[in-house]
Amino acid sequence: MKPIATTRSATGIPTGRLAIWWGVASEIVIFGGLLGAYVMHRIGHPEWANAAAHTHTMIGATNTFVLLSSSFTAVLGHQAAERGDGRKAGMFLVFTIIGAFLFLTIKSFEWASEIREGFTIQANGFWSFYYTAAGLHAAHVLAGAIVMIFVARDAFRNRELQRVEYVGIYWHFVDVIWIFLFPLLYIAK
Amino acid sequence: MSEKEHQDHPVYWKVYVTLVVLLCISVAGPHLGILWVTLITAFGVALLKANLVVQNFMHLRVERRFIKWMLITTLVLVALFLAGTMPDIMKHQGLRWVNNAAKAEVARGIPLHPEAAEAAESPSGGEHVQNAALANGSDDPAPQNFDAKGTFNSVCATCHGQDGKGDGPAGGALNPKPADFTDPAFWKANADSVLFKAIKEGGASVGKSPMMVAWGGTYNDAQIHALLDYIKATFKPKS
Repeated sequence: MKPIATTRSATGIPTGRLAIWWGVASEIVIFGGLLGAYVMHRIGHPEWANAAAHTHTMIGATNTFVLLSSSFTAVLGHQAAERGDGRKAGMFLVFTIIGAFLFLTIKSFEWASEIREGFTIQANGFWSFYYTAAGLHAAHVLAGAIVMIFVARDAFRNRELQRVEYVGIYWHFVDVIWIFLFPLLYIAK
Repeated sequence: MSEKEHQDHPVYWKVYVTLVVLLCISVAGPHLGILWVTLITAFGVALLKANLVVQNFMHLRVERRFIKWMLITTLVLVALFLAGTMPDIMKHQGLRWVNNAAKAEVARGIPLHPEAAEAAESPSGGEHVQNAALANGSDDPAPQNFDAKGTFNSVCATCHGQDGKGDGPAGGALNPKPADFTDPAFWKANADSVLFKAIKEGGASVGKSPMMVAWGGTYNDAQIHALLDYIKATFKPKS
């Protein structure tokens, strides 16, 4: 039998989905504060443009493409779960997980090359924000990928299919954060 | 989800293709080198992409209004927080305060002469190399690109005042008061070498106010000499 909290709802929204939205709402404050602080510092420090000129736009664009694609497979998984096709939903989640680890692999090579060039987190204010913001985001990617492994395992057995949608909402949010990080860290030279 | 919501599902691959096209636009935009095009293709497109994902992939479009208001509330809270901290972060000086650390970082980061610009471009990069180039004054005796007047007005004048009378906006609160360069007694009491040291190593190094910050890490010897020459030529009373 399921716990009562998962079966009743005062808002008319399934409790799990409501919880994920609350999670997203609190993440808005975390990333909003961080990115807002970055934007304000960036405007106050014109010299940061010199540091920003060293980020690799094509790597950032590739990673954006990877995350957009993984969001696409996540939503296809959600669609399959709604139709009760757990196997298909699980398969789409596996593609999403592959996307997550591809993103992290690309990012680790990118960071390694930047650190080798001397751009460490202590180099100046820009690089501090660069590693903090992208690092916090990468931690979210890793956390999402790990959770999706468990959700996908259940989905293959046709269990808890509603969780495919919940983990998807989280994943799309991680995608949205990157959509803003990409122009902030790579495009604005 | 209700049956109606099911019918409202967007065609996901169309949304996906749109997102990828928008990504290409945001990468291509800055290559035109026009500032407003860059800003629109970078941040306008980001807003558009985020909206597409939120509405169609996260299904906020068909989500209950409760969720929308929840998200709007947090966005408003973030905006409030940012508005509250904005003046402190974006301005480096106000009526009665000056953020010396931020000003010094801008001064360090923006090359004052071509050699420093090259140092900044070098791959080992960052401000450390630049710092070394600036601090190592003897290598670069010709500060022809150094704007002594501009530096005085933006850096020194915050305490010493635009007229050199020690009445700058940030100087009023200081004790002892910042030096008055128009006072003949000031020039009688202090040899050039003492003033040079005070600028380079700070007021405390010559037994004066420790509120006078050391600028040796920001400006090289030649630039400090240029600053001193400017101050003498502009404010020292002709006797």
